[in-house]
Amino acid sequence: MADKDLNESLRDLESGPRTSEAPGDGPRGAAADASSHASVAALRAKFGDAVQHHTVMAGDEHVVYIARERIREVLRWLKDDAAHDYKFLIDVTAVDYGGGRPLEVVYQLWSLTHGRQLRLKVTLPLSALEVDSAVPVWNSANWLEREVYDLFGIHFHGHPDLRRIMMPDNYAEGHPLRKDFPLRGRFSRAEQTRRAMEMDLEDFYIPAELATAGMKEEAPKAPAGVSDASAAAASEPEPGGIRTPNDPDHWSLGSEDSGAGGASAPEGVDG
Amino acid sequence: MGLRGRELPTLPTGGGEASVFTTRLDALINWSRANSLWPMPFGTACCAIEMMASAASKYDIARFGMERMSFSPRQADVLICAGRLPYKMAPVLRRIWDQMPQPKWSISMGACASSGGVFDVYSMVQGIDTIIPVDVYVPGCPPRPEGVIYALLMIQEKVRGESLQDHDLHRAEDPLRTGRQNLPPEVIDEVAVPFGNSTRQNRVSGMVPSHALQRPRDRLP
Amino acid sequence: MSTTGTSRGTRKVEYLVTRTPQMGMDGRPTDVPVMPLAVEPELLGEHMLINIGPQHPATHGVLRLVLELDGETVVRCIPHIGYLHSSFEKLGEYRDWNQIIPLTDRMDYLAPLIYNCAYAMSVEKLMGVEVTERCKIVRVILMEMDRIFSHLLWVGTTAIDVGAFTAFLYAFQERERIYDLHEALTGARITTSATRIGGMMADLPVGWTDAMRHFVDTLPRTLDEIETLLTHNNLWIGRNQNIGVISAEDAVDYGLTGPNLRASGVPYDIRKDRPYYDYETYEFDVPVGVHGDSYDRYLCRMDEMRQSLRILDQALDRLPGGPINVDDPRVILPGKTDLMSDMESMIHHFKLVMEGVRAPVGESWFSVESSKGELGMYVVSDGGSKPVRWHVRGPSFINISALPKMVEGELLADVIAVNASLDIVLGEIDR
Repeated sequence: MADKDLNESLRDLESGPRTSEAPGDGPRGAAADASSHASVAALRAKFGDAVQHHTVMAGDEHVVYIARERIREVLRWLKDDAAHDYKFLIDVTAVDYGGGRPLEVVYQLWSLTHGRQLRLKVTLPLSALEVDSAVPVWNSANWLEREVYDLFGIHFHGHPDLRRIMMPDNYAEGHPLRKDFPLRGRFSRAEQTRRAMEMDLEDFYIPAELATAGMKEEAPKAPAGVSDASAAAASEPEPGGIRTPNDPDHWSLGSEDSGAGGASAPEGVDG
Repeated sequence: MGLRGRELPTLPTGGGEASVFTTRLDALINWSRANSLWPMPFGTACCAIEMMASAASKYDIARFGMERMSFSPRQADVLICAGRLPYKMAPVLRRIWDQMPQPKWSISMGACASSGGVFDVYSMVQGIDTIIPVDVYVPGCPPRPEGVIYALLMIQEKVRGESLQDHDLHRAEDPLRTGRQNLPPEVIDEVAVPFGNSTRQNRVSGMVPSHALQRPRDRLP
Repeated sequence: MSTTGTSRGTRKVEYLVTRTPQMGMDGRPTDVPVMPLAVEPELLGEHMLINIGPQHPATHGVLRLVLELDGETVVRCIPHIGYLHSSFEKLGEYRDWNQIIPLTDRMDYLAPLIYNCAYAMSVEKLMGVEVTERCKIVRVILMEMDRIFSHLLWVGTTAIDVGAFTAFLYAFQERERIYDLHEALTGARITTSATRIGGMMADLPVGWTDAMRHFVDTLPRTLDEIETLLTHNNLWIGRNQNIGVISAEDAVDYGLTGPNLRASGVPYDIRKDRPYYDYETYEFDVPVGVHGDSYDRYLCRMDEMRQSLRILDQALDRLPGGPINVDDPRVILPGKTDLMSDMESMIHHFKLVMEGVRAPVGESWFSVESSKGELGMYVVSDGGSKPVRWHVRGPSFINISALPKMVEGELLADVIAVNASLDIVLGEIDR
């Protein structure tokens, strides 16, 4: 009986965190009065139905849900318009509620001149994890969006340099902060160690670095999905949705795959 | 008490017998090595701060001859891996270890370096002994500077137990193994099996109450 | 040093930076402008690719910088991080609300109490729990103490990066006193885990406030000693003035916070702009620089330590008695007497121990002014005892992303000095 519990718990570790048990699409909260926040009222007036929902969380935090297609417009207006002047982008992050529910990209803004905070959210269905990048609006979004891409697999169109930031460039297990990603990773520890050790430190410059230093781009020696493959995959996503590495048969564990490129290996092996 | 009163196990001598000359020479060489170990601080996280504190005035490892922290591995004797080691950093550690010339020793400082610590997660090496051979493990999160000093004293004791005659025994390194991990894959999987609190890591959110009787026991099958 | 009145009250101290004048050719001191370094393309040299780190004595952790150099001038700098990625945020999804607190110590290990407090404050905001007055002031004391703790390490390691070893020893000697205070309160030197949702792990031990006051009274002497060594030191000035300059607009655009932002002239401090725990009632100034270079960042941090001492003095004066933990059965275990006599307390105790603290459905973002900048904690709850999402807005993560902008055109040695002046900690960059 105890063994069964232990095995069940170990299986829990391998299957990924259980999804949020809250009903519905996640804690959207009750709709709030738009006039309680000057920027929200102005947003509703200017953008109309691009503003999908407005709520107040934790007493005084105003959250606005914006339609995906217009987020960059909204962000740019919020930054440039003098009455709102959100010159400071505090944070960009994402939330995965699990269970097939859509992901949310969260923007936290602060206006230095008016002393106002605002949170914007964009809801992305799992089949279309793409949104416009905020880098043209604030430069601080650069690394913040790279982190969201690395850990959630959300694609930011127009990002100048969308590649992994926390995980190694050739990381093949997927996007770690997703709810279907198990805590200890998809590969066994031995496999993770092997993959880590075969990273060639000499060859570990990204193509951008090599190119501007006038050196020829080397053929990637590490397994498929490294450097140029990941850079290419980062810049043009497939139309109609990104291939998410969430199906089990997407994974290739084979160490014999170390040929450069590997036409037979799944293209999105870098996640 | 402690280090002084212990009998060191005698190691087998390979080849010729130990003469008075060679044992005296060993003693001299080991004395000089033990009292001038140059640490290579491979500090990654919080343990690095405790390592810095043990080098500072209050816990002063300069009294053991170790104030010269050698940041170049070519000139170092002891690699102190202080802090957690993610897989992205693992080949760097291996390379630094390979760059250290013999004789070299290593200290795994802290729980994260010794076994992965709190971080039984996708990105963390579960113990640096899967990557490099380790001589002394220091428990603690982070270990107090006294713990670091104790580890250094244990390294000194190890140094004193070595002998030129058994050079191959102690110091042989297979040049084909540079850049490779230290333990074979099956051993890695075995030592990285979750145990203890790791088995309780499940994402039950708490909306469904988890009863104590349903929790697994804390042992391996 | 002058105080300027603004529309929000007299609170900003504008630093008139004293720059040691250069000795002119005629023997009289003059202000010689520093020649800007220019890349010289007509020399037709090749650019060199240099890799610094991730194992390097001067990167303050496992940070990897790839520099493209023209001679010794930096043309481009590309930082690579992730060498300490410990997935705190994922691990947090598997932990109860109180079990996350030991994780927060290990992110910014230079100022663990600030992280402990920030996390507890964000969850308390989510839950609508109001801590006791004593707890608020104790947390203010701990946060300011850890601000000093972090800045002392910063000044020590920055000095050692440019070659001044003595300041490192002085700073660490003072830090040992703070270690003693940490240890007296929590039992651990660095990984304190001192807060809990709704209160603290334990009240201040007897004699702690006296030791704290003694520390507050005697630290200024060490700060004076360090300043004597550094502030008017020609070498220090030469290594730090006009190095790593970033303008106010760029600093805001790149998301810099903390002393990095204030050194560029932007007076954004969360303790003043979105005050928490009655910070608006404390008398302290926020140092704001002018030039936005490494020297101004140094001056800002040195003065911040002195301002923290002022806050500590006031906080110790107004520390009330009373309970340290709020009397809310949702978060705090009931006392043993109540537990044994009252059925309701027994049930609360049982639920808290078995299931952990449960937060209502919702989310909360809370920022505090950490020693490195704006530390934001974002917690999302679905009504259970573990978060759905816990995100940390680590200030160093965004500060280091501005490094390429700050070192363009600088010399190689200055890259190290600028990196040091940003006061980064890799634990919160890589999380």
